[in-house]
Amino acid sequence: MTTAAPPGQARPARPARSPWAIVAFLGFAAFTWWAASDEFGIGFDVARVITNLTRGADILAEFFPPNWEYLPRTFGPMLETFQMAVIASVIGCGVALPVSFLASRVTTPNLVTYLVNRSLLNLIRALPDLLYALIFVAAVGVGPLPGILALVLFNVGVTAKLLSETVDGVDPGPIEAANAAGATRTQVVRWSVLPQVLPNYVAYSLYVFELNIRASAVLGIVGAGGIGNLINTERRFFRYDNLMVILIEIFVFVFVIELISIWLRRKLV
Amino acid sequence: MTVASRAARPRRPSRRALLAGAVAFVGLLVWAIVTLDVEPERLLRLPGGLAHIFHAMYLEVGPEWTYLPDAIGGMLESLQIAWIGTLIGAVLSLPMGLLGARNVSGGLGSNAMRQVLNAIRAVPEVLLAVIIFIPIVGIGGSASAYAGTLAIGVHSIGTLGKLTAEVVEGIDPGPVEAARAVGGAPLQVQRWAVIPQVMPEIVAFWLYRFEINIRASAILGVVGAGGVGEALTQAMVFGRFPRAGVIIIVIIVATILIDTASGWLRRRIIQGAEARRMHGEAIEEPAFAASGAGRADTDVG
Repeated sequence: MTTAAPPGQARPARPARSPWAIVAFLGFAAFTWWAASDEFGIGFDVARVITNLTRGADILAEFFPPNWEYLPRTFGPMLETFQMAVIASVIGCGVALPVSFLASRVTTPNLVTYLVNRSLLNLIRALPDLLYALIFVAAVGVGPLPGILALVLFNVGVTAKLLSETVDGVDPGPIEAANAAGATRTQVVRWSVLPQVLPNYVAYSLYVFELNIRASAVLGIVGAGGIGNLINTERRFFRYDNLMVILIEIFVFVFVIELISIWLRRKLV
Repeated sequence: MTVASRAARPRRPSRRALLAGAVAFVGLLVWAIVTLDVEPERLLRLPGGLAHIFHAMYLEVGPEWTYLPDAIGGMLESLQIAWIGTLIGAVLSLPMGLLGARNVSGGLGSNAMRQVLNAIRAVPEVLLAVIIFIPIVGIGGSASAYAGTLAIGVHSIGTLGKLTAEVVEGIDPGPVEAARAVGGAPLQVQRWAVIPQVMPEIVAFWLYRFEINIRASAILGVVGAGGVGEALTQAMVFGRFPRAGVIIIVIIVATILIDTASGWLRRRIIQGAEARRMHGEAIEEPAFAASGAGRADTDVG
């Protein structure tokens, strides 16, 4: 530091770029071209977006003004959406708690149980919630029940994944202490692991509840109850002024729920 | 002994707030269950119904394997929708996310941008497709996929922008101060002091969003916005279960494959960045000059 560096060496040499960076970039470019091209892909180009946006402004103008007289008719289905989200979140997060302990090596030393649970969770998360709704509607008929069932599966997938990863990262000290004091495995989970992950669990549950509000708004499109039913009807009749009312209502509702949830999470965690 | 141990133990903190919360929570739940007409007796039909569907899909006549090429074609279209949609979201969310960070655009500006991002996030992509993009670009042929792509792109802006803003708020302020001190213009500060610090994490978010968007695009076909979901909805609604069975297998295999590949890549990006950062600090700490510039090159490249 005291001796001045010779002028030629003041700046360190730029590190050489890894050849893998070039390969990765070429791969990225080729994949994007394939996906956007007319022949192989979805025929996406920016000029088309701009034409559509100008045309879109005209079409969107037809949506206004929203038909506010329609609003009272949406309250019932919107309430149903909210109730579905509440019930599904409670059941889903309740089931996810024990499942996530079974899907972490920290609390489940048995390799087979652990692997079975992990794979099951991966399988559940591989399918989108609307697909579950389609299947449950076919199994038990239309209404809020198939919607709740679909949301429960979706919730278990998300919450258990997040929570089991938190369990993986807990401080092992309290576990060792409990083991040393002769605790059974359930006692270890109850007194050493659960207190450490409880704040995260509550935060994840609130987050999943937010997701549920958004998800349950569209489940009705396949007949699984809630406001989505109305969306389906109105779009068949091209009543975009009514759809605009529903859109604004869902938007406001999700927004308010999120604000409450963020406030609660901040208080709890 | 009992007296001493009782005195030694601190008093339990008040649980009044917790109790009030629990009561409100249980009240909400009971209200939801009582007032919603769930018809729980239909649950009895669930095992039989699921068994029947599974039987019809895979056992009765076996999956309709002749449909496999079409199912894969549909899944590829979903993949393309998700990829282009994620790119749209990534490109647009980066500047918006930077503007949504308190340490970049100040309290007022960041709050305004955060609200914009929250607003975008509040509308699910299926709804965006149904209410906004299908009316604009139409339906059928390439228009369907196009509407789906735009819906996914716009929704991704909201989630990615929020995450970007959060990551940017957590950066080390040192390089930013250094860049300002040597007279960096606002854009130069972003380019050389902020972006290099956050890029690995943000690219990892983009990949994670791609995984989520695959699921979204697989189902956008329910409303006619392209991808494999269109054929699946048709098959389910018209009771062509052997065909639906093949499509479901294709969706599961494709999502798990992509999740695995993308997860590997994400870990590689994050760990690579960490390893390089530690390595960089080890050699650059003694000659602490130029460490910011050195990091910029390694992380972006």
